[in-house]
Amino acid sequence: MEKFDLVTNIIVFFLALCFLLPLFWLLTNTFKTSPEIYKMPPDILPKKWFTGNLTELFQGQPAFQWIWNSFVVSFLTSLFSVLISALAAYGFAKLHFRGRTVLFVLVIASIMVPKETFIVPLFDVIIGLNWIDTYQAMIVPNLATGFGTFMLYSFFKDIPESLRESAKLDGANEWTIFSKLMLPIVKPGIGALFILNFVTAWNDYLWQLLMARSKEMKTLTIGVASLQQDINPNIGLRVAGAAVAALPMLIIFILFQRYFTKGATAGAVKE
Amino acid sequence: MDNPYSGYAFIAPQVLLLLIFIVYPVLKGFKMSLYEVYGMDKYFVGLQNFIDLFQDPIFVKSIFNTIFFVVAIVVATIVFALFVATTVYDKNPKYVSFIRGSYYLPVIVSMVVMSIIWNFLLNPSNGLISYVLNTLGIENVNLLGDTRTVMPVIIFVTFVGNVGQAIILYIAAMIGLPADLFEAAQLDGATRWQRIRHILVPLMRPTTIYLTIINIIAVLKIFVVIQLLTGGGPNNASVTMMYYLYQNAFIYNNTGAASAIGVLMFVIAMLFSLPQLKTFLKSDK
Repeated sequence: MEKFDLVTNIIVFFLALCFLLPLFWLLTNTFKTSPEIYKMPPDILPKKWFTGNLTELFQGQPAFQWIWNSFVVSFLTSLFSVLISALAAYGFAKLHFRGRTVLFVLVIASIMVPKETFIVPLFDVIIGLNWIDTYQAMIVPNLATGFGTFMLYSFFKDIPESLRESAKLDGANEWTIFSKLMLPIVKPGIGALFILNFVTAWNDYLWQLLMARSKEMKTLTIGVASLQQDINPNIGLRVAGAAVAALPMLIIFILFQRYFTKGATAGAVKE
Repeated sequence: MDNPYSGYAFIAPQVLLLLIFIVYPVLKGFKMSLYEVYGMDKYFVGLQNFIDLFQDPIFVKSIFNTIFFVVAIVVATIVFALFVATTVYDKNPKYVSFIRGSYYLPVIVSMVVMSIIWNFLLNPSNGLISYVLNTLGIENVNLLGDTRTVMPVIIFVTFVGNVGQAIILYIAAMIGLPADLFEAAQLDGATRWQRIRHILVPLMRPTTIYLTIINIIAVLKIFVVIQLLTGGGPNNASVTMMYYLYQNAFIYNNTGAASAIGVLMFVIAMLFSLPQLKTFLKSDK
């Protein structure tokens, strides 16, 4: 190994450990009492693994309800999003109809529109639908993006046309071809998209903050963030909240690491 | 011959959602930016909201903060991600996946969790960072409470929470490159630095352009880190356009101004994403 290579690798490795430090701090401090968290210099690991913060989070706060809300919102958002995206992607990739190009441009352009810039009128739409403080308010507007369609489009496009034609000769209709033949082929793309959507929905902040009015409708991220602004300054509880919000994502990442690379590269240019 | 209606049936749910939750709100946002709202009534004021904004010192400050934020994040992200990716891409797969995972974990646990952690670490009275600075002899620093340091600190926190995405993309792109390119250069006696500088980095150009664009748009709409760390303070030193939009819309109830900021940000985002849009559509051909 060249000297240059050795030096850069040492730096990159050292910094990688530094990137893990905040998370290490979070997970270990969850099991410390508040005075121990404030203690300087800090103990690397808790002297005694204290579970009082977690007990207080789950007994003093509706944390189970928040987790349930996050799960419902993230799961349904991913599910419907994948379904709607797959339908549209198949339509654009394989079927011919008037206005196809114009509509496709509209769908792709929607990826680039940051929802935050028109959040005021969008908020009005939700009020008009009388959806404030409901699950559908947290789910349905997030389904309206072309990213999934764009991602699955290339998967469908790569399937040879002859496959569809032979199914047609056998008398299959468009729906059968889509659901029985095409969907199973694009399964890897669907899996990556589902996980990507799930993580995005789980970590969503501004929109869920505006939609959830009652304490019982908050998602975990919003509930945990609201603990930060509480007057009751129990640092242990707040640390435990953040750790519980992070944990499901850490588990998903460890289980499905390869899907993240696939999802991340899906939007990238491949010239 | 295909039934022409089945195509419409397949794309209908997507297009319907887009019309209701994107196209209509965007158009309405443009309209609202031309109105002033007083309680139940609204009045057409033309471009007055925009004129007022540009005479508002906080808004002008928010523009400069946003530009500073965007430029710093994009430069830091691209440079650092290229550094990490070029260093590890050709190493043992286990090592690569450890490096990738370490830098990507902050992305996965979200800006909300990362902001909460940094809020504790940066706390001036009993945070770990103040303690470390104290022992180094730098006393009484309040990094988030000082108008000079607050933006760099917010940028740093955002950088740590975001750069993993770029690293993943670069590594994936580099692993996909044909190996013979480098073997030839190596035979010619090129050092590792020369190979990176003259072959690898130029080959990464499309990825770099893509990352630049998505980062510009991502930073434009950053909200949570500012809300949880500073609330725009001290003395509006960390107010960005997005945060000012939020304040106008949901705290000051000034929907006209909020919509006007939204329109400006929308136009900026669209201008930056046009080149990307073109490459997206090229993949259709």
